[in-house]
Amino acid sequence: MSDHAVTIRVNGVERSESVPARLTLADFLRERLDLTATHLACEHGVCGACTVLVDGETARACLLLTVQADGSEVTTLEGLTEGDELGPIEQAFWAKHGMQCGFCTPGFVLTIAEMLDDNPNPTREEIIEGLGGNLCRCTGYVKIVEAVEEAVSLRGGGG
Amino acid sequence: MSLFGASIRRKEDPRLLQGNGRYLSDIKLHGMVHAVFVRSPHAHALIRGIDSSAAAADPRVVCVLTPDDLPVGLPPLPCIDAEETTKPFNQPILATDKVRFVGEPVALVVVEGDRYIAEDIAGLVDVDYEPLPAVSTAEAAVAPDAPLVHFDSNVVDVLEYSVGDASSALAAAPHTLSERFITQRYAGTPLETRGVIVEWDEPRRGLTMWSSTQVPHSLKATLVGYLGLPENAVRVIAPDVGGAFGVKLQPYPEEIVLGLAAEQVGRPIKWVEDRYEHFLASTHGREQYHDVEVGYDDDGRILAIHDHAVTNTGAYLQRLTLVEPFIGVSMLSGPYVIEHQQLVSTVVMTNTTPLNPFRGVGHVQAAFTMERIVDLVAAAVGVDPGEVRKRNMFSKDVFPLHRGIGNVLAGEIIYDSGDYQECLRRAMAAAEWDDFRREQESARAEGRYKGIGIGFFVEETGLGPYESGRVRVEPSGQVIVFTGACSSGQGHDTVLAQITADELGVEFDDIVVVHGDTDLVASGVGTYASRSAPIGGTAVRHAAGSIKEQAIRIAAEMLEASPQDIELIGGEVRVKGSPGSSVSLAQVAGRVAPGQPLPAGVDEYTLDATDVYHPPTNTFSYGCHVATVEVDIDSGVVTLLRHVVVNDSGTLINPLLVDGQVQGGVALGIGGALLEEIVYGDDGQPLNANFMDYLVPAIGNMPEMVVEHMIVPTPLNADGMKGAGEGGAVGAPAAIANAVADAVLPFGAKITETPLGPETVYRALQDVS
Repeated sequence: MSDHAVTIRVNGVERSESVPARLTLADFLRERLDLTATHLACEHGVCGACTVLVDGETARACLLLTVQADGSEVTTLEGLTEGDELGPIEQAFWAKHGMQCGFCTPGFVLTIAEMLDDNPNPTREEIIEGLGGNLCRCTGYVKIVEAVEEAVSLRGGGG
Repeated sequence: MSLFGASIRRKEDPRLLQGNGRYLSDIKLHGMVHAVFVRSPHAHALIRGIDSSAAAADPRVVCVLTPDDLPVGLPPLPCIDAEETTKPFNQPILATDKVRFVGEPVALVVVEGDRYIAEDIAGLVDVDYEPLPAVSTAEAAVAPDAPLVHFDSNVVDVLEYSVGDASSALAAAPHTLSERFITQRYAGTPLETRGVIVEWDEPRRGLTMWSSTQVPHSLKATLVGYLGLPENAVRVIAPDVGGAFGVKLQPYPEEIVLGLAAEQVGRPIKWVEDRYEHFLASTHGREQYHDVEVGYDDDGRILAIHDHAVTNTGAYLQRLTLVEPFIGVSMLSGPYVIEHQQLVSTVVMTNTTPLNPFRGVGHVQAAFTMERIVDLVAAAVGVDPGEVRKRNMFSKDVFPLHRGIGNVLAGEIIYDSGDYQECLRRAMAAAEWDDFRREQESARAEGRYKGIGIGFFVEETGLGPYESGRVRVEPSGQVIVFTGACSSGQGHDTVLAQITADELGVEFDDIVVVHGDTDLVASGVGTYASRSAPIGGTAVRHAAGSIKEQAIRIAAEMLEASPQDIELIGGEVRVKGSPGSSVSLAQVAGRVAPGQPLPAGVDEYTLDATDVYHPPTNTFSYGCHVATVEVDIDSGVVTLLRHVVVNDSGTLINPLLVDGQVQGGVALGIGGALLEEIVYGDDGQPLNANFMDYLVPAIGNMPEMVVEHMIVPTPLNADGMKGAGEGGAVGAPAAIANAVADAVLPFGAKITETPLGPETVYRALQDVS
């Protein structure tokens, strides 16, 4: 099986690697770059746990091959946090108990990051619509919705 | 303000939110190799031979293990036998002469490289199967000519319990009704699947196993037994666990095979279950139907009940499989006074994945069955469902209440505390019952069908036999709490720190909680059956109490005062009434550090205490759910409107976290009520083993949710805690099914099974028209 050279900018750092064609972006991030906040749960594109941003838009890292991401810019949960400071979405998850086991959380945080960039002041219906592609088995989603509303206000709301 | 009882943010979260969680699959060790299990594609087949030569010839292969490579006489997986009456239906560690369900492990392949390569090579292992007829449902399994999963019958056990004389009471009852209630097969499906890493340490002649498990100590004990190693040579570590819900509560064959392979391989081996494997090889739950006959009077008082439950336990009895059939009948009557009960629970095996408890084991089926019955009785006598419940419920004066039923799995059922009638009243008030009735009336006039339903449950929680708690104060002032309980997301670090902070008056941030490592925590049981707070929390409370006593004794000498005159407040040990005369807990710990003479009357060079708490018996949490729904009569689609829960878990350590437990439980219950079902074909082939076809509730499935707490502390432990992890999952299906039944009442449609997907509801409507 021949390898392919890819160059991907991950969390602001350019990474050039040689990868097999079948290597998923999720495994590239986790196994090659040790960015383990991108989680695999369904490996099927259904649950959203592996959500990352590719050129600013959410994508399922389990359904993308690394070679498809060649030349793009990828952001993972690790890339949202600077130093020890939690960003507003993460702070909101902490404040509102928006997480339990934490396995789905990175995917939610990245989905919400994109959502709030597009629409800084979503209605409750828009939040529910926006999070329809992420599964959480622990929380029943109630406190995730509250966390998004808290994040809106921490980000200055009304934007 | 004391931290105990406060809704504070979790200790765990910042680390996880920064991407610094360390789940099993995140762990990499030097020289690690990768494992894949070869699994049966057949539901039932003889194994005529296994040819692994093509796989073994690949230079990347480190080892292939087939059943023949396992030690002779290796015992199968353990099962706790409920009544000590069953035959050995335990699962072999690798299938030997026969496979009995799709996904049963047959061989192990370990390769150099990565998981991709391991799967390529596993495909080269050639297993010669001779397929046999298979059976997938309990009904088919009891047919006279059914294929036999094990020996001479697929009925492998019948558990029987009785209170009073149900036959006579049923014969004498003014009215009776009979019905079958069906709860489907579904599963916990945590987002993180199972996974194992094992590393052999040759100089130590022992191994370390990381496993995504709820029960590291029990896994350690199992490995010690299977590997014939001394306890000190086996270390089990549960890293961050990404949800468990009971699915990770027993040692599995993969853990034992990898443990056995560790020495031979000599390098760290990693295996992570994929989602398809998870659906096949991790335990399922629930599948149980109840044939019930109930006798009642004109006022809707239930006089007697006869219940025959049948559970499809799958192909093998796992460690706690028999809890499902036991609890399913023994907790049937829940909060109700039913003097005469005859309860029979038949255990049937099929060629499907084995059952084992998950979140609300048995209680879910019991509550669904009983609560549907109560509504049928209410409808038959023309009395409101709330009123009929009130007439049948125990009063708050009956505790402790011996129910006259028990067994080796769960102990004797003795309800410890509560006020069921008040719980019902509050839930109906929060659901605005009477207002909803009016709303329902006007909606019906417009051709829209809304319904309201109650799901009351009583749930056995806080199971023993014990849990350990240890508290140690370091000379730095940091307090380390060790617990045998093991978090899979509940927030153990936070609530155990709250208990410790409350007892010792130290800062929350100065407390570190350690769990999930058998080398760091000497003994323990693990987390299941809503036990970590009532059992694990009580052990920590006791251990912290001992620290307090020790600290006062040590400080007495330091402050030249009598111990009776010393108190521990805000992390300071001081002489009562003279705040200037004090030492910090850190200084007290420093005073007993080695290298100096001990204070008089103190005999240990440490400020450290352990408690192993054995509860006298189990606690019983309860709650009342009230669901409102709208049913689209043309399509059968059920829309959830609102879900109210009033829950009594006893004293709450952190209401915010308990709310989260209840809400998450309700979501799982909603899955069970409307969406989730593991489906097998008649040939035993799984038909929806992925998250595309097996529907876990998404955010859009959730109704508005209201959670309130009643707090009736149990007298059974120091803080009055009863356990909160599961009740949400127990009450929800009953309440939702009753609400759906209420919505379709004008059509006379019978609602007797879950999940209530559009097809099931539509058919129920068609059956009457």
